[in-house]
Amino acid sequence: MLKGHLDMIVLAALASGSAHGYAVIEEIKRRSGGAFDLPEGTIYPALHRLEQAGLLKSTWTTADSGRRRRVYTLTRTGNRALVERRAVWKQFSDAVGGLLGGSRPRETPA
Amino acid sequence: MIPDYLESLVRELDFDRSLSRCVRQEVEDHLWEAVAADSTGNMLEAQRRAIANFGDARAIAAQFAVVSLAQRTRRAGIAAVLVIAGDLIAMKARVAWYAAAQWGISDDMKALRGLVILIDRYAFLTSVIVGLGALAYIHTREIPAAFYPAFRRQLRCFSLLCSAAAAALVVSVISDGVLTALQVQGMEPSVEIWVAILTMAIEIACAGFLVFHIRSNTRRAESAAALLKA
Repeated sequence: MLKGHLDMIVLAALASGSAHGYAVIEEIKRRSGGAFDLPEGTIYPALHRLEQAGLLKSTWTTADSGRRRRVYTLTRTGNRALVERRAVWKQFSDAVGGLLGGSRPRETPA
Repeated sequence: MIPDYLESLVRELDFDRSLSRCVRQEVEDHLWEAVAADSTGNMLEAQRRAIANFGDARAIAAQFAVVSLAQRTRRAGIAAVLVIAGDLIAMKARVAWYAAAQWGISDDMKALRGLVILIDRYAFLTSVIVGLGALAYIHTREIPAAFYPAFRRQLRCFSLLCSAAAAALVVSVISDGVLTALQVQGMEPSVEIWVAILTMAIEIACAGFLVFHIRSNTRRAESAAALLKA
């Protein structure tokens, strides 16, 4: 299930600002309370894929350690995609919540 | 320990050298940062843990293979359209040269020339339409997270479209070759003839490049697919 939402999770982690791969993973762990335990390496193909799709852009910098570091930033298209995915997720989450909790989901204006 | 892991990752990513170089740097930075953040104080244990958390090199390379394949097919689509455009420029330059030099053709060859021009025109038009279709097709598909059967079908469809565009372009170039031969036959070697031959050579190089590009792309796709199957 997590795999299907990995792109949205990565975009959300980058919504607060530019970050390199390790920082993205740390942000995901921090904001999810450590709930997502996926192999850290799977984030990198996702970052490359999102960059290819134009949702992220990257630049190479030099870290304090002297190592080359690739920093990712959300593009305008990426921001729009995140807003859309958030809305779809909210709708889905409300619907499932309504079903499981027994209450009707809030009606959203058309 | 980390250098060994990086080497194994680079080996797995051998199907795309530039990607492998770039991924190596990124992963190296990640692993050493994870080691630095490890609180155990045991360097070897920290490295082992960082590698274990990162995941199996082969599994990660397989995910990159999908990204690499998608990127290469997109580039191949752009290359196909650029090559066809290059061919058109060479073709137009030669025709303009004929007009400027006021070259005619003997009457008994005119019927054959008309037929070849017709074949050339339709073959070239087919290559343009199919080439643009291939580019539009691949650029409107989403890049998948894994080597799903739908992605395999997309690659096959794109490859077929590109091959059809290349075949039509080859027919067009052969037709141009025949037209050029008709035009220059019986003429003394001169600068004018060399201009016609040069533009023809550019056309042949364009078509050859496209065929070579499709072939090498297919081979890379096969080697990446083999990695994903294993």
